[in-house]
Amino acid sequence: MAWLTLILAGLLEAFGVAMINQLQVKRNWKTIVLLVTGFGASLLLLGYSLRFLPLGTAYAIWTGIGVVGGTLIGMVFYGESRDWRSLFFIALVLCAVVGLKLVS
Amino acid sequence: MNRNWIKLIFASVLEVFWVIGLAHSHDLWTWIVTIIALIISNYLMITVGQVLPAGTVYAVFVGLGTAGTVISEILFFGESFKWEKIVLILLLLIGIVGLKLVTANKPKKGAES
Repeated sequence: MAWLTLILAGLLEAFGVAMINQLQVKRNWKTIVLLVTGFGASLLLLGYSLRFLPLGTAYAIWTGIGVVGGTLIGMVFYGESRDWRSLFFIALVLCAVVGLKLVS
Repeated sequence: MNRNWIKLIFASVLEVFWVIGLAHSHDLWTWIVTIIALIISNYLMITVGQVLPAGTVYAVFVGLGTAGTVISEILFFGESFKWEKIVLILLLLIGIVGLKLVTANKPKKGAES
């Protein structure tokens, strides 16, 4: 359960970052509300997960999924570059997350 | 050393504080301190990112934040030191830092149009 909420927290963090991108495209209230809700929900879920998982592992995975998710959203929806180096680092983060789940 | 780098290191220390706070807050005051640390930490990181290259700033911030949380969980919260865990966290960090350096330091395409 704590792993599930941690991954969801990371995805919501990525969603919040995407809303920051969206604000630069178009500034409106709906986006601001989504941004605040996304980051808020992300922190609540992270807080919940941290009660059960080791601090360093949980924090690293939360930021990792946030950054990878944010980058993927940027590539798909905001036309950011998809060079092979980015894809390599994304794969590295995902492998490390899976590995951490396996060793803990 | 540049003032902005000192601000960034301070931001990372606060980042570690609020993560510990999220895990261990138990009353109103500890929650208030946690939330204040979270706000100041992000505020400092964003303001430094407007002066120095944003990708590098974020990479350093996350690197120090991760190192800080891993060290505190071992020193203060009785987590055992496991090699395989440290190596995996390092790999994860290399992934984040690499990603930030290849994507975020480039000027955005079409930003001026």
